[in-house]
Amino acid sequence: ISSDRKHSETVGALLRTISFNCKRAPGTNDNEGSELIFCSLSFEREGNTFLKAADGAAVISRKRLAHVDIVKCKSVTDAQKRATAPCVLVIKKSEKRSSFQYSLLTLSSSNRLEPCVEFKLPYQMKGDVYILQGPTVLWRHEGGVLYTSPQAEGVRQVPIHFSHCVVGELPLHKGQVFVLGLQKLPEESTSQTLGYFVEDGQVFDGSVILPHLYISITQCILVVAADRVDGVLKCDVVAATSNRQLVYFENGVVKDVCQLPFEQPENIQLVNTGKYGCLFAVSFREGHVCTIWKETFQVAAFWSSVSSIHVDDFLGCGTDQMLLVFKDRVIALEEFLITDLCGISFSDTEAPKTSPPPSENYLLTLKALESRLQSGLTVLQELRREVTVKESVLRQSVKALTDVVSEREPVLTQHEQALDDKIHDIPAASSKPRIDKLWHRTTEDTGQCSRPAVVQTQSQMFWLPAPCYSPSSSSSSSFSASTFPEPPAKKSKQHNANSTNDLNACRVAVTAVTKLTPLLNSGRVKCHVMLHYIQTPDAFSLMSNQRPVILTILFLFCPDEVREDFLSLLAVLDHWVFHIDSPEYSLGDINGWIQKRVGCKKIEVSPQYLLLNSSGPSALMLLNWHQITPFQGELHVHSSQLQMFQFLESLLAYLPESCSIQPLKSAGGQGASKMFALALEKELRLKEKCFGNKETPDAGSVEGLQKCREMCQKDLERSNMKLSPLVDVGQYRRLIQSMSKVQLNGDLAALLDIQFSPLMCSSGFHG
Amino acid sequence: MYQPPSLLEKWIQENNELVNKCKQQEAGGGVVSRDHSQSSLRWCSSEFHKLLRKIQGIPPHVDHTQLELAVVCNTCVCFTAQSQFSEAELLLKEATERVLQMTGNNADTSDPLVLWRAVLKSAGNTALHPHVLYLLCLQWTLWLAKCQLENIGELQEMTSLCETVCDGVGDGSPSEAKRRLAKSPLLVMDPKRLTELLQICTSIAQGAEKLNEGRSSEALSDLQAASTMPATRALVAYTHLLSGSCLAHMNRPQMALQCYKKALETDSRCVCALYRSMLIYRQLGNTQAEIQALRLLHSTLMLPPASEPVLGGIHPISPSLLLSSQSLSRLFSVPSALSVLYSLALKCVLSGRVTEGVEHYLDLLAALHSEDQHAVKVDAEVSVLPRMLELYLEAGTALLITRRPADCMALCNEVISTTLELVPEKVVLEEPEERIGGDARGLSVEGEDKVAMLLWAAAAYLLQGHCHAHLKDWKQAVTHYTRCINLVVKVRLKNRDFQPQIPAADVNVKHGKDLCALQRMKGLSLAWRGISFTQMDQLREALRDLQLSLQAFPDYTGAGLWCGEVLWRLGRKHEAAACWEKTWSLTTQTSVEKLPLYLQDPQSGPLLDSVELRLRIQELGLT
Repeated sequence: ISSDRKHSETVGALLRTISFNCKRAPGTNDNEGSELIFCSLSFEREGNTFLKAADGAAVISRKRLAHVDIVKCKSVTDAQKRATAPCVLVIKKSEKRSSFQYSLLTLSSSNRLEPCVEFKLPYQMKGDVYILQGPTVLWRHEGGVLYTSPQAEGVRQVPIHFSHCVVGELPLHKGQVFVLGLQKLPEESTSQTLGYFVEDGQVFDGSVILPHLYISITQCILVVAADRVDGVLKCDVVAATSNRQLVYFENGVVKDVCQLPFEQPENIQLVNTGKYGCLFAVSFREGHVCTIWKETFQVAAFWSSVSSIHVDDFLGCGTDQMLLVFKDRVIALEEFLITDLCGISFSDTEAPKTSPPPSENYLLTLKALESRLQSGLTVLQELRREVTVKESVLRQSVKALTDVVSEREPVLTQHEQALDDKIHDIPAASSKPRIDKLWHRTTEDTGQCSRPAVVQTQSQMFWLPAPCYSPSSSSSSSFSASTFPEPPAKKSKQHNANSTNDLNACRVAVTAVTKLTPLLNSGRVKCHVMLHYIQTPDAFSLMSNQRPVILTILFLFCPDEVREDFLSLLAVLDHWVFHIDSPEYSLGDINGWIQKRVGCKKIEVSPQYLLLNSSGPSALMLLNWHQITPFQGELHVHSSQLQMFQFLESLLAYLPESCSIQPLKSAGGQGASKMFALALEKELRLKEKCFGNKETPDAGSVEGLQKCREMCQKDLERSNMKLSPLVDVGQYRRLIQSMSKVQLNGDLAALLDIQFSPLMCSSGFHG
Repeated sequence: MYQPPSLLEKWIQENNELVNKCKQQEAGGGVVSRDHSQSSLRWCSSEFHKLLRKIQGIPPHVDHTQLELAVVCNTCVCFTAQSQFSEAELLLKEATERVLQMTGNNADTSDPLVLWRAVLKSAGNTALHPHVLYLLCLQWTLWLAKCQLENIGELQEMTSLCETVCDGVGDGSPSEAKRRLAKSPLLVMDPKRLTELLQICTSIAQGAEKLNEGRSSEALSDLQAASTMPATRALVAYTHLLSGSCLAHMNRPQMALQCYKKALETDSRCVCALYRSMLIYRQLGNTQAEIQALRLLHSTLMLPPASEPVLGGIHPISPSLLLSSQSLSRLFSVPSALSVLYSLALKCVLSGRVTEGVEHYLDLLAALHSEDQHAVKVDAEVSVLPRMLELYLEAGTALLITRRPADCMALCNEVISTTLELVPEKVVLEEPEERIGGDARGLSVEGEDKVAMLLWAAAAYLLQGHCHAHLKDWKQAVTHYTRCINLVVKVRLKNRDFQPQIPAADVNVKHGKDLCALQRMKGLSLAWRGISFTQMDQLREALRDLQLSLQAFPDYTGAGLWCGEVLWRLGRKHEAAACWEKTWSLTTQTSVEKLPLYLQDPQSGPLLDSVELRLRIQELGLT
């Protein structure tokens, strides 16, 4: 309700409605002065009208040409007298309009207007003027905030320069007026919210009252409750924003919002209706008023064409009511409405009617629910505590798991440390062991041995990456073992080598390409390969024993090099099979998804396999997806363990939530192959023992080896000539028995190995 | 120094907490009751809406537009899940306007398609792009839910953006996911799952439309493509089901059966597939399979109604929201459990498995009495269940066939006691063609009911007569047949030239059926009274009755043969022979299926062997 609209103002106070007006008083002699008259009205319930209770006047100016006007009037608390009194701010403009005299007058309880503060300004107050507790008059001028009060001794300016500010006051018993605003920070391009208490000049962080983002859009605020806890200000505030919202803040946190039906809010007042709760009465420019329930934050009622709204206990019944004035005259109010929206309603037009109050049940239910909430909250806190305990357990388990997974890395590192620089440039031609010749001997179905054939083959030998944990698998073309990327500093744990034997510490792969026809000539081919190893001076110290050792034997039938590479990869990488079951949701195109991943390509020789070459040192992975039904499938993964886990994690993110992944086979194929190798080794040793009671020439030299061969040849010639050596029957029996037992074990191991070998299953015989 | 979480962070936290609460509903399992999930959904949506209002209360800024859009999406999803389509549309409209405002474009068009294109263009390559795509997906959801398929068709090129949605909101790489999780607002519904749901539901809806328009081969290819899309079991089963319907429409019943089988394998609760398989077996005449299918159908329908199955990833939007068009409802409709039981019972009896049929009839009657009817989607066109008394009569007939005359008579007594008071003294049936004007209903409903009562009472007496005939109690049989005849003759026909055929014009099918039934009943009752008289050696009465029967209903071979027999016994052998010849020359055979069960030729009682009769004629010829 703007102050320059008319000459009269009304204010509600002291259970009365007080009207102020400026009038030209009939002066004495030729002095016409201006005086401020007031008229105090009280509401008569029975007559439904306002009756004059008191009136009076005060002279403002005796000068004739002085122009006097009321700026604003409001009922505020006087800090010293600790009582509420209506205050009116009056402006007296000089003739030349060069200076403006302002006086703040209060109406005392004895119905006398007394001047409180007087000050002079070189300008006229424009914009918002506030009369607050103190009484304090506050206004804005040229970007600054100025105020005065009886305690302030003159006009003071708030030292902070605010780009946008909001004025408020803490509720009565705290008695502090503050200005809240945005201050631009010089260093940064942002601004911070600052609050300034006018009485003591204390600056505080404004975000305890209003969040930063709301300052620029807040039009007016009302502090509902305030308290100081441990020196920190905690308050509940409602603010009306330019976005047509009334927002309830609790300690600077948005609690609730309510859409307002009008724009340009100007003032918020609190109406305490007693047992029915509180209302916020928001008054807008253009004469709108909207009331919102505090408890539910829903709009209760709204009116338009209201010239003023006042909140006080006009009926003297102990609770507040709202007085809405639609039209008024100086002496009495013509159109008005007194209501508290809870049953009390008096208006000039109709007989007092009581609208039914909101049901009492509402509040009772609220209280009951509140107590239930409390008990629920305590239960909740207990549960929360449990959850935190569980979370910490989980965290520890995850940490342990990752430790386990990465535990072997230090082994690698340690291994690398031992080998040191010698390994760095693998493959170095000199470090590669050389194979001279490769013998193979085929055993036919009948059990007879054929001639040992010495076959010159193209063969290669290379190091295999350590099993099961290496991120450094080989590249596809040649198995040059790549550099181990882990820094030497990463060895955290000593890995005891006594759990696995030397064989595991370093593995050697031998590929030999030979003609197939001699092998296929016999019905069933069981090919023993004896590897005779000669240590050359610059070989590693690790390979110290000269016993022929058979490690892993895999038969690869590959017609071409590409396929050989592919099958070698399959053989070398650890192999897992997973069964994926999605009971509720069909799987869609998993192959397509895999193919879309970066660096994926199909393998030409075996198109159902996909090669993933993600970044990272030789992080090769082979994948094969086999769809069984739209809801189930089987995934074959050939990669290192860490890679496998990484892939599974990303797959799980893609799969529907109710999916389950079951491992069908782990990298246990190694176990079967190892068993097979050991069994063959046993067989060989046994044969050596049985047949090798002659002196074995020293195989450490070329001549010795030659002798060995010659002896073997002689034996065979003799057998061919049916000149078999005489042998004791018992000894012979025992020999055959142990031989067959060992061979049986060997066959069994071979069978197990074959069952788990992917090569036999998927590749079959390719001639 | 402790930095209290900023306003935005608090709101993101609030959003994420709400999302987690929402998801808990889903994780709680499918055992959650419908009401409970509905009320929690309502709570979630109001909370989201409140949060959105809070966020929209501060001036728009690019920092929190992502949060705002995320909350818009969440609120929209909740509204849509509760079928509050207009509120959701409003939200989307506001959001798009805000995006345009943010990016500085203005769209002063009300055409939604143009608006969306503008919005997508303005979002362009900004960080808002994935969110705007998600908004578009939500709009798609609303169009689908409101069956506005044409809009979707217009924006088909946008569906290629679906992949972008999936990629843009996460490519599954774990480190990125972790990074995102900490600071970004969660979404109630995974955009990838939403897109998948929309794709398959759109295909299904479009397929159904095409099928209804008769373009079944086009529909088939759409649906086949849809069946490979990732989706819940129920939806995949729907694609197979509709493919089967297309194939059935294209006259490929065997292939349709394959599709229905696949549908059932995918989702054992797809009752409609079972129903349609049964229809195909019926069409192919494979009675055994039809009966088996009916039996399965009945037991599946009798299962306790499944709670809403676990929606797994597509919570809270249930596919039934998106597949609610008229054509789809028609294609998915299934008869009620009781009408299935009735079909089963009738089929069993008609195909010779009468004992089974009797059991089913009795089960049906028991179920109807206990009023234990399940609320299955009942389509009036599809459910066929005759009135209670008719069921009694049919059951009675079946009982008689299985040689349980006592039980049959008990049922008939029930019928009689119920109807006899309601049988009118006199009923006049008028010819429908004589009607002037449009009121071709014949009698009023009340009147029709009266005719029905009369028919049933008469049929009950007829059956009782048959029972006595079965028991060879000829006197009682005559009594009951007489009662039947007395009832039937109460019906007067206005037009004498009425032919006892179902009128082809189909003006009043029921009317015609009633007349036909009446005629047949007359014929049967007279004939069998005559036969009973024959057994009691009252040949003159027998002859009179049999001749009357032939007059009323010439097509009844039984009457013809017995008439001849009586004539033979009376010594009028030549007439007998002529009668027999005439009888055998009758070719008309009304379809047995169309007649009510109780009006069929009873299989018990004395029968004449045609072979023997021919021999007699031959002998006659010789002598």
